Amino acid sequence: MRLRVLGVVAAALMLAVACGSSSSGGNTKQVKVGLVTDTGGLNDKSFNHLAYVGLQSAISKLGIKGDVIESKSGDDYVPNLTNFAQKGYDLVIGNGFLMQPAIGTVAGQFPNIKFAIVDGAGTDAKFNDLKQTNVMDLFFKEQESGALVGAIAGLLEKQSKAPKNTHVISAVGGVKIPPVDHYLAGYQWAAKIYDPSIKVLIGYSNDFNATDKCKAVANTQIGQGSEFVFQVAGGCGVGALQAAGQAHVYSFGVDADQKDADPSVIASALKKVDVAVYDAIKSVVDGKFTGGANRFSLANDATGYQVDNFSLPADIKTEVDNLAAAMKSGSKTPPDVVS
Amino acid sequence: MLPRFSGLAVPLGSVLFAFVAGGLIVLISGANPIDAYQGLLCGVGLLCAGGENPALELSTTIVFLTPLITAGVAVAIPFRAGLFNIGAEGQLLVGTVACLVVGITLSSLPGIVLVPLELLAGMAAGAAWAGIAGVLKATVGAHEVVTTIMLNYVAQWLVRYLIIGGPLQAPGAFSASSPISVNGRLPTFFPASNSLIVFGLPSSVYRVHTGLIIALVAAAVFAFLLWRTSLGYEIRAVGQSQKAARYAGVSVPRTIIVTMLIAGAFAGLAGAIQIAGVDKQLTDKYFNDTTGFDAIAVALLGLGSAVGIVLAALLFGALHAGGAVMQSDAGLSSNLVLVLQALILFSIAGNFVGQISRLIPGLRPPPTLPSELPPAAPLMTEAAAPPPETA
Amino acid sequence: MSALGDIGHLLLTANLWQATLAAAVLFLLPALGGVTSERSGVVNIAMEGMMLTGAFFAVVADLKLHNPWLATLVAMVAGGLMALIHAVVSIRFRADQIVSGIAINIFAAGLTVFLVNRIYGVQDVGHVVNSELLPNINIPVLDQIPFLGQVLFQQNVIVYVALVLLVLTHVVLFRTRLGLRIRAVGEHPQAADTAGINVFRLRYGSVLVSGVLSGLAGAYLAIGIANTFVPNMTDGRGYIALAAMIFGKWTPFGAFIACLIFGLGEAIYANNSFIHISAYLLSMLPYIITLVVLAGVVGRSTPPAADGLPYIPGSE
Repeated sequence: MRLRVLGVVAAALMLAVACGSSSSGGNTKQVKVGLVTDTGGLNDKSFNHLAYVGLQSAISKLGIKGDVIESKSGDDYVPNLTNFAQKGYDLVIGNGFLMQPAIGTVAGQFPNIKFAIVDGAGTDAKFNDLKQTNVMDLFFKEQESGALVGAIAGLLEKQSKAPKNTHVISAVGGVKIPPVDHYLAGYQWAAKIYDPSIKVLIGYSNDFNATDKCKAVANTQIGQGSEFVFQVAGGCGVGALQAAGQAHVYSFGVDADQKDADPSVIASALKKVDVAVYDAIKSVVDGKFTGGANRFSLANDATGYQVDNFSLPADIKTEVDNLAAAMKSGSKTPPDVVS
Repeated sequence: MLPRFSGLAVPLGSVLFAFVAGGLIVLISGANPIDAYQGLLCGVGLLCAGGENPALELSTTIVFLTPLITAGVAVAIPFRAGLFNIGAEGQLLVGTVACLVVGITLSSLPGIVLVPLELLAGMAAGAAWAGIAGVLKATVGAHEVVTTIMLNYVAQWLVRYLIIGGPLQAPGAFSASSPISVNGRLPTFFPASNSLIVFGLPSSVYRVHTGLIIALVAAAVFAFLLWRTSLGYEIRAVGQSQKAARYAGVSVPRTIIVTMLIAGAFAGLAGAIQIAGVDKQLTDKYFNDTTGFDAIAVALLGLGSAVGIVLAALLFGALHAGGAVMQSDAGLSSNLVLVLQALILFSIAGNFVGQISRLIPGLRPPPTLPSELPPAAPLMTEAAAPPPETA
Repeated sequence: MSALGDIGHLLLTANLWQATLAAAVLFLLPALGGVTSERSGVVNIAMEGMMLTGAFFAVVADLKLHNPWLATLVAMVAGGLMALIHAVVSIRFRADQIVSGIAINIFAAGLTVFLVNRIYGVQDVGHVVNSELLPNINIPVLDQIPFLGQVLFQQNVIVYVALVLLVLTHVVLFRTRLGLRIRAVGEHPQAADTAGINVFRLRYGSVLVSGVLSGLAGAYLAIGIANTFVPNMTDGRGYIALAAMIFGKWTPFGAFIACLIFGLGEAIYANNSFIHISAYLLSMLPYIITLVVLAGVVGRSTPPAADGLPYIPGSE
């Protein structure tokens, strides 16, 4: 029995070696890019998915080689980033605010490898920016996008064009982290500018994936009269959109254009993670990579809004576009902290 | 109990069975199992074909397996007393919190004093957490499965509360606490230097730390406690039959409480080792941490023995590290690893090795399960309880 | 407003209790399955895995067949197949039932995500459109009763099914010959065998029932509430069901009470937009309540005498 087992194992090992040596090879000078997702995984219908879309378009348009590892838990951030770095990938992309200290650690260990991180920088354990020259920070002004959909809600309420004109609107956040709260802060701020009597309910699902949890939170808000539900919870938030649809109130999508997620989505607050990821890759391909903060905002068309299953009255659209212009020029500055 | 098959043949055969069955699943799903397994083997530093550094993979594997050993013991001890501790996760979490609080508040102490204090704090917190379940079981008879599951949830939400806007949140860092100071950390085997090159990489990438030694000592302590002390005898007696134990003069309630306290201490130690050895701080990773649940599988696969737990932890650690390699090299979801773990457990539980060997002519007759099972319903059947081992 | 005032106010709303019942059913179905399985003497901690499998196949089938009823059937069969593995391993191979149960849970978690990746690639699994969901049904007339109408008669179709199954499980287990036999097999298999009862058949059947009910719960979660499959979407509900079963001392109505407590906890948490307290502290509440109730009121839980013991014919 034991011999038999050994024999099988040995045979399997030899086979593995043979296969391994044949599959490697092909040594052109192709740029290699590794993407490490956060725990939401690639099927998160939002943030990680968009980063993957950016990687895919770089693969097809720039002819790079791109690989992905999903992080199953926070335990995996450092090993997964290191995996790509030690293999000499040209660019390693970490996706998510929560990966900052891991990026800081690994980027310090591999000064010759370039890194990029969405929603963050390379930091130490106290979240202080290490300002590493080999780390490109891809920050977004989410508050701008949040403000634009908040303005739509406020204006519709003010002009009594909402379903019931309750002057109550709401938002479902995933976890209380800065990128989420930026959106919420802008939403709350702009809604109140246009409709000072409006009440903005803000709840958190504590999850970025499980649609049922966001649906439950959204249902309670709708029960309190909310007629605009803004989801800021990635894949989980799709549940909030569907809750709005089932209750015949309006909703706002997040990050990507979510008009297909539910008919109730009248507009989406955009955060073009795919554009940022693509740009970072392109900078490496073009030899123009520089470390440090890259702010993605209205100024470079990486935030904004998209009207979806709704015909927005022209005067409202003008007002919203005016707000966008004001934020772009800096004459109006949305807050990035929920009040 | 199971001559000839009771050694390494059953676990090894079960692993082999799992890989064959898992390979079939991969094949049916349209992928190449050899690519998959090549990635997994890289977890122990073998056959790394994608350019991975074998030493680094091995180091990562050891980092993953270290808490599994101590947490595995935390599940295995109550098993011996007929108790099912699903709560290792919660006990581990309060262990991380206690370690962190001590590490931060006493950060001025020298490492030689501070690190032991952190570990002791973790153990005390874990013991207290498990002790709640123990006392409830011993006094009002509340089933430990329910109470430990409840305590897991309370601990999970407690961690979230503490580091999301709560008292332990570091300034400016959401979902994370402040780190413990450098002198509060367990030493690593390699210096944490970015310029010193070891095995072709900066030495700081090898995160393997002295927590491994503590975990191995913990496993040895477990074996000694169980087989060389009167407390160990009492634990096993209660596990065999509470009634018989009572006749033999063993206080069942006291044994139950003590068992849970010890188990919780081991789980809390696992949490403290994680903070002091790798993580330095509480982060969002602890929201979805599964070490305490993986530990159940480790304890079961290790057949409740110290050596078995260490080997099972090694396997799980290697699969964890190898799963990432497999995903980046072969493009297969690292969740295949879970399928393999489950198949191993099925095989061990159902004694598939014995069943299959019956079909192969020329082999010795397979072992049969003991015809007489112990009177009470212990959670580990006799098949999973090997004879005493030497510590 | 204070946190207690917030919650007090909330407790008077029909919305809250409607959500409580809807959430409780997700625990109740697997808990009923657990009661049936364990009453026959097979420890079942695998509801989590069976439910997750059911959720996955419900979504796959609904996206393919565009029929929620067929998809629910598929989910129940899938849950049943997982249960069959548990039954074969623990009854035929006399495996440790805890080990087998844990293995099922790990197996389901790994297999579903692995298959998502193989079937859908890294793309979106896709959403089930509203018209192909298990529908919410308002019972005419009754749903107009103030307060109670909304709580009891404006629910998903599976909620009504679950309440019927609750009564049915109780009646079958405690008022019929079949139930008597199941319980006999779980308490004294040797005696039952001597009396001519087929121990194996009843145990196989009972375990299968647990899988089918858990699969149904998975379908309710996936195509009644969530509209999609998300890795690990059951989120420990199978374990909560296990706790509810033991809390309820292996009786259907006892388990139901525990399920309501957990459901209430979920429902209160969902209201965190208006409660002025850390949502995290709030989330602990149902678990702490359960501990307190266990310590003070419920007390000793004793499983069926032969629960967890493989039956070996002729042994005594």
